[in-house]
Amino acid sequence: MVKQSPLHPIHEKLQAKFTEFSGFEMPLQFSSIKDEHLQVRKTVGLFDVSHMSNVWITGKDAEALLTLTTVEDASRIAENKSQYTAILRDDGTIIDDTIFMHLDDRYMIIPNAGMDQVVTDWLNKQAKNHSLDARAENVSSQYVILAVQGPKSREVLQKLTDVDLTTVGFFGCQKITLGGHEVIISHTGYTGELGFELQITPAKHAMDIFEQILKIGKKYDIKPIGLGARDTLRLEKCFLLAGNEFEGGRTPLEAVMSWAINWDHEFIGKDALLKQKEDGTYQRLTCLLCDEKGIPRHGNEVLKDGSSVGVVSSGTLSPCLNKGVAMAYLNHDAREVGSTVDILIRGKPVASTIVKPPFVKKDWLATQEQH
Amino acid sequence: MSSEVPDDLKYTKSHEWVHLKDKVARIGITDHAQSELTDIVFAELPEIGKKVKKGDELCVVESVKSVSEIYAPVSGTIIKVNEKLDDAPETINESPYEDGWLVELEVEDDAEISTLIEASEYKGLI
Repeated sequence: MVKQSPLHPIHEKLQAKFTEFSGFEMPLQFSSIKDEHLQVRKTVGLFDVSHMSNVWITGKDAEALLTLTTVEDASRIAENKSQYTAILRDDGTIIDDTIFMHLDDRYMIIPNAGMDQVVTDWLNKQAKNHSLDARAENVSSQYVILAVQGPKSREVLQKLTDVDLTTVGFFGCQKITLGGHEVIISHTGYTGELGFELQITPAKHAMDIFEQILKIGKKYDIKPIGLGARDTLRLEKCFLLAGNEFEGGRTPLEAVMSWAINWDHEFIGKDALLKQKEDGTYQRLTCLLCDEKGIPRHGNEVLKDGSSVGVVSSGTLSPCLNKGVAMAYLNHDAREVGSTVDILIRGKPVASTIVKPPFVKKDWLATQEQH
Repeated sequence: MSSEVPDDLKYTKSHEWVHLKDKVARIGITDHAQSELTDIVFAELPEIGKKVKKGDELCVVESVKSVSEIYAPVSGTIIKVNEKLDDAPETINESPYEDGWLVELEVEDDAEISTLIEASEYKGLI
């Protein structure tokens, strides 16, 4: 059964083209993926990301539960701060990547679309197994998540709240009144641009806020943005996408998430990761920039000197660079930055260079000519 | 929103159009097809001289999100491809029946032309 966003009627009025993603019918695009993508990099865009999940973690051992089940030591994340992390199985593979927000005496985590019950059940199971006084509650159907992203995002949202948004630091989170409704705002996003995400309940408040943002953002030429551009935006910055970069068989070491791993605490999957770390020969996520025409796609094989050295996990045409870009898992000894590999696209090798992430740097906008 | 379907062309159920002149078939995708694909960012055209059978993959057209195979509506030999699409693949979206044509081929078997459908029947399909 395919679910719809509570904002579906608004999207229909805005003439969205819809697509199915993880069991949800969501806008793929409103005008054009390329235009929406560039809009976010240049000014500001508004996303409905209500297909993502919301789970409350409460109880006196809430912090301990997060510390046990993620690669982060939750005691390091103060109130009104959030953290990007991964929830692992015993064998070290990623169940889901997520952000958790520390609000008052509880935490809200944002699992990926379709992962709400899996994550909730996993957390409750671990709480029980380890006798922790903590509870995970799946509230995904009650919340709508909106994202406002782009250089003008803070200016737009500032018009709807009395709270000085410059005080919400990077990865900060807090409850505020915005557009007349209580929301949880976080200085987070999936685009690599200045941006904020809003957790809103009930849905009718979210619909009202969505319309208000479109109205107040008119002076910045704000546009609604679909999932198509959401994907090209995150890929240009080399952010992971559940289902692409990990489908049940990848560890955070392979996904090059080691910067997010806090090794100074005990967590599920730690032993397996330590073994893998010591061995060192695991494949690693690598960024490839096409030198020839072609668009890499998930599943394309990567060759070096005729032999297979890996596989593409995500690929697209970068709207900013107008070149094919891909993230691929490559053998540890075949991923030197600056070296060339071939991506097999429909049987044809397309020469590509291994580059350091991200594909599109922070100064991209500054380097564009003014029209 | 209705699609354009010129009366003087022939069509296939897989949304290709065919313009026949003497033994040459000029082939493209319909307005309906291009609007479903949305922004076309890449067109991979076949080599000149390639022989295709009706139903074979003729070329591939890609949007940001999807890859679409275009099938040969009739059998023949490729004699010309629209090189403009190399640098401006979006022409297919802007002008699917004129500037955005894909390939021309020399028709091998006239009898296959009768398997193509008329504009009125194609309109009924979309």
